[in-house]
Amino acid sequence: MTALIIQAVQVVQAAQEYDDGEIPAEGISNVAVLLIFVGAPALLFLVIALLVMSPSMARGPRYRPGLGWWASPVWFNGPDDADAAVRHATPTTEGGGTSARW
Amino acid sequence: MARVPAGEAFSERQNDDIVRAIRLARKQADLPVSVYVGTLEGDPRDVAMLLHGALGEKAPESVLVAVDPGSRRLEIVTGRDVRRRLDDRSTGLAAMAMTSAFQGGDLSGGIANGIIALAEHAQTPRSLHTGAR
Repeated sequence: MTALIIQAVQVVQAAQEYDDGEIPAEGISNVAVLLIFVGAPALLFLVIALLVMSPSMARGPRYRPGLGWWASPVWFNGPDDADAAVRHATPTTEGGGTSARW
Repeated sequence: MARVPAGEAFSERQNDDIVRAIRLARKQADLPVSVYVGTLEGDPRDVAMLLHGALGEKAPESVLVAVDPGSRRLEIVTGRDVRRRLDDRSTGLAAMAMTSAFQGGDLSGGIANGIIALAEHAQTPRSLHTGAR
């Protein structure tokens, strides 16, 4: 057991000795380690998440049948003053059409 | 084209889709279509008839498509004159096309497709012996 440990220590020491022509560089600081191995992946994660979520965020709330309606009324090609027009309107009686539900 | 009131119901592109469909119906079939999207409080059919009446002097030849997404009701009202070339069976078919899109959550697409379906049904075949309509 002890022989094994001594052997392992020797291996580690051998690894710390430099090869011929090897010039050791300075180690990187803890801050740099954090930036490279934590910061960069986190940034990448955020960018991808944003890319995935942005289209639906830009589109706004989506209509889902059965979950109610939130928007104010819209009238395309309607009367110029909708409120006044509705107040003074007489309902159409001789018309036709369809009712449907979904 | 009358104004489009500001509302957050549709995005700009969805608005454009509906406006383009309305313009197409006007151009291809000379069919004035008005689209209301909002709550129809009370009896939906009565409210839709009132809204159609509110279109004023162009009401007899106009089609109103009223959509209440909250209570999931669709009302199509045809005026007295336009009813002659756009019968209830045709509006029923357009309504079916619309509601199937609405079920999938596609309001603006369903409305645009429905308007185009209405315009296709309303196209009067050119008759050779009676001349101008």
